[in-house]
Amino acid sequence: MGEMHVASAALEAKKAQEKSYRKKGIFIALMSGFLYGGYTAFMTQGMATGVWVDYYGATGVAAGLSAFALVYTLSAVGAAVNDLCSAVWTLIYAGIIGRLGDFVRCINTKPGRILIIAAIIGGPIASTCYVIGLQMAGSIIVPIAALNAAIGAIIGRILYKQPLSGGMICGIIICFIAAVIIGLFGYGMPEGGIGAIFGNISGQAGLGMFAAFLAAVGWGVEGAVGGYACCMVDTEVAICIRQCTSGLVNAVVLCSILGAMGGDGVGKGLALVGHALVDGPSIWMFFIAGVFASWSFKFWYKGSSMCGAALGMGCNGSYAFWGPFYCLIVCGLIFGGEGWMLAWQGWVGALVMVAGIMTLAISQDRASKAA
Amino acid sequence: MRPLFFAVLKYFAAGNEACRADVQAALAGEYSNFKAFKDKAMDEALMTACSNGLIDESRYELDDKGNLVIYYKSSQEGIDTINSYIAD
Repeated sequence: MGEMHVASAALEAKKAQEKSYRKKGIFIALMSGFLYGGYTAFMTQGMATGVWVDYYGATGVAAGLSAFALVYTLSAVGAAVNDLCSAVWTLIYAGIIGRLGDFVRCINTKPGRILIIAAIIGGPIASTCYVIGLQMAGSIIVPIAALNAAIGAIIGRILYKQPLSGGMICGIIICFIAAVIIGLFGYGMPEGGIGAIFGNISGQAGLGMFAAFLAAVGWGVEGAVGGYACCMVDTEVAICIRQCTSGLVNAVVLCSILGAMGGDGVGKGLALVGHALVDGPSIWMFFIAGVFASWSFKFWYKGSSMCGAALGMGCNGSYAFWGPFYCLIVCGLIFGGEGWMLAWQGWVGALVMVAGIMTLAISQDRASKAA
Repeated sequence: MRPLFFAVLKYFAAGNEACRADVQAALAGEYSNFKAFKDKAMDEALMTACSNGLIDESRYELDDKGNLVIYYKSSQEGIDTINSYIAD
């Protein structure tokens, strides 16, 4: 009887530990989406403040900036400044919690190199594809880009044999629908109605939609591969690799290429990054955005490594709601900007997303137990 | 010197069955001063490696104080995966 009691107590303790680990994984994955909202809002506000007013007006230090630069280069400059700020914060934090040694030791290893490649694919490449898609095809690319969670789940299934049941696919589809509702109608019906979104599909728009699909693939790859790498590399180390890679590649490589392509000169992109980094009125906003980004991406990786890519990325997909929500609070209410009020469709989308995440979580639990 | 988590996985790739305390005892010489070497962080690292199939739970029991102790062991597939990512 005594032995049976001990065995039963051990089983209970193990079940409790599994439940606690699972709850923590889902909480972390949800937090990644929640914190992404802060990153979006402070970066958006930063890019409307200080030297950025000159940048977008093509005045002052940005006098004579090409139309190409106003669309593409400045978007990359914003991402570069944010990721560099984020990298600085992440390294400071890694120093405080004693991870800098492992950061250096991990870089030139296979998992480290995988993280670097995943960061380049999901950072500079996917973000540029997204901006290209938005410029060439308009808001119709929002649902295409929202496919990233589904693509991540498929990659997780193929590469790492993670469970993907019918219920989980159903949950992913509901989350996808929610992201589409929020992305297309979160600020109300677009001018010209739904016809304006779907009615003007030209060859150029087709190319833009393809670019958006590449962005979704890029983010899917990063979420699945980066998440898996975190079962070997400490997440605190992985996020250092991610943010340093993304910041440097964005600033040095991408901004230079875009500067040259726009006819502004190879050095122009980097010069714009430099001016933005020393611009007092806006840099503190980028630094706050960078802190949010650091935690958001860290939790994205950690959530995917703890829950699997499907559930991790499904929970992370709540960024589709938290982005506009934070913009409403930060850009609208705190800084008094106009046009940030969320329409009722946005809130409905959020409720649909909750249903999708719950479906996904419950189905994944069943699929894991059945495996 | 390897990163801490690499060392943990390589310990299992050598065919050892071990609980968290065993791993800590085996690696204490090089890693005891690491902040990530603490019980909670090590437990989470082992559970994450387990949920991704690098190691498997082999058995569990309660210790004298009533705390849960889980033992892990790597399957041949897990060992091959670890060795394919982390060189000797």
